[in-house]
Amino acid sequence: MNSPLVSTAAGTLPAAGQGGWVAAWNRFWFTPADPLPLALIRIATGCLLAWSSFVWLLDFEAFFGPAGWLPAHETWRLNDQPWQWSWYFAAGSPAVRMALGILTLLAAVATALGLATRLAAVIALAGLVSAANRAPLNVFGLDDILGMLMISVAVGPAGSCLSLDRRIRTGLAAGDAAGPSVSANLALRLLQVHLCVVYFFSGCGKLLGASWWDGMALWGSLANAQYRTLDLTWLAAFPLLINAITLATLFWEVAYAAIIWPRLTRPWAIGMAVAVHLGIGLAMGMMEFGLAMITANAAFVPATIWRRWTQRHRRDTV
Amino acid sequence: MRGPRGVDFLGMPREIPREIETTDSPAGWPAAVRAVASLAIVLHLLGVILPPLAGPPPASLLANQAIQPFRPYVGLLYLGHGYRFFAPDPGPGHSLRFAVIQRDGGIVEGSIPDADRDRPRLLYHRRFMIPEKLAALVPPPDAPAQIRREAKRDWLPLVRAIAGELLRRHDGLTASIDLVEHDLPTPADMLEAKRAGEGGEYLGDDLVIPLGTFAVQVESDRPTLPGGGSPR
Repeated sequence: MNSPLVSTAAGTLPAAGQGGWVAAWNRFWFTPADPLPLALIRIATGCLLAWSSFVWLLDFEAFFGPAGWLPAHETWRLNDQPWQWSWYFAAGSPAVRMALGILTLLAAVATALGLATRLAAVIALAGLVSAANRAPLNVFGLDDILGMLMISVAVGPAGSCLSLDRRIRTGLAAGDAAGPSVSANLALRLLQVHLCVVYFFSGCGKLLGASWWDGMALWGSLANAQYRTLDLTWLAAFPLLINAITLATLFWEVAYAAIIWPRLTRPWAIGMAVAVHLGIGLAMGMMEFGLAMITANAAFVPATIWRRWTQRHRRDTV
Repeated sequence: MRGPRGVDFLGMPREIPREIETTDSPAGWPAAVRAVASLAIVLHLLGVILPPLAGPPPASLLANQAIQPFRPYVGLLYLGHGYRFFAPDPGPGHSLRFAVIQRDGGIVEGSIPDADRDRPRLLYHRRFMIPEKLAALVPPPDAPAQIRREAKRDWLPLVRAIAGELLRRHDGLTASIDLVEHDLPTPADMLEAKRAGEGGEYLGDDLVIPLGTFAVQVESDRPTLPGGGSPR
């Protein structure tokens, strides 16, 4: 029996007996996709997590030791115990704890390089979660976003191109032309939807605040000396500019989940994301957080653009 | 809806680039696999969406009940976030000011975080989160006495642990800790400061909330940490 067919990127999906919603669902989640964007996200995320893991090591026992800034038996005050697990809860000696910290760092580096990628990504994710759950007094948005990114890296074929795994499997001459796959699409879609959830709730939370409505929230951020790394207090003389940037940020964040999908508005949504997060990174000293958010936004850049970019880069470097 | 440049309305490439081969079958996964994967996707997305719904107040009873069966999954993958970045309002910054009296009689005074010493910047931010998260638990001094008493049950164990870490680091006998809420200037304050002085550094009135003085419990020659202490 012939089935009606739904056109997809790489072929067709049978739509027999399925309504439009089911076909759309299947098309959204199960169309094979080029894994290149996921590989680029893997590299950036692995680098950021490696850096974060290294910084944890600088004050390691204070963060993860039995006493430290927050003793293990007090984590329930900030966590949802017993569900927020950590391998540091079970690590009895400083040597074991340090070994686990270094394991996380090495796994993050291996993830970035694409070496034993799936295993490395799972270990790196476990290390990230363990660190965040053991030291809830010291985590912030960066850890939330790295967790989101690492889930997609661990789920999808993130090491299928631009990786040592690919080089080892196919030889140096094979290039990075990994084939499209459903799991690559699935991982990217999970990241895209998750990012929309992040922006949506972040925007909704801001709607509760008077300073976002009166247009002065930006001032509250850049006048805060504890955050400030770039002195922009000269903006005090330009309240209308502060209003405009504050309101633009608010509208962009609240609308992100809608404007990121249409091809017409997507470049604006991504461009604004890059501007906002670079601004936060430079002016408030949270460059790692900014880069993590920009990395997540890369999931919305079509693979064709990334492929043109990597091919041009390869030509330039040859 | 179709797009002219190789991607459709949802960003899917309309054509797979010629230079890459297709390894999956054109039809993708079989229907049964898609069904199982769809269920997993829905459950995962509930695990993503429910925490910010049930997260920082205000939150509905519905969201708080709906999240209960997802708590193990949310905890497993570290999904329990509210994502309320700089919300509802960017507020004043906080720091912990401490003074440690050492065993040799010396005094060490400092701040958490310390922008001059906490390098790289990510380490500064990790330490900066300590006063920021404490500040969310410590009510202002003019709050009703009962609220301050109840809140103290939450923040005192955390401050005691921080005091223990400070005593360990500085070989101290007692540690006094204040929470400092740094004054957030208005644009008018800042302009006035710039007009008033050369350099125009704004010096506001910070709010200082004493959190207590904590002492090492000496059982033998070795101090036992974190100390007991006598919070104010």
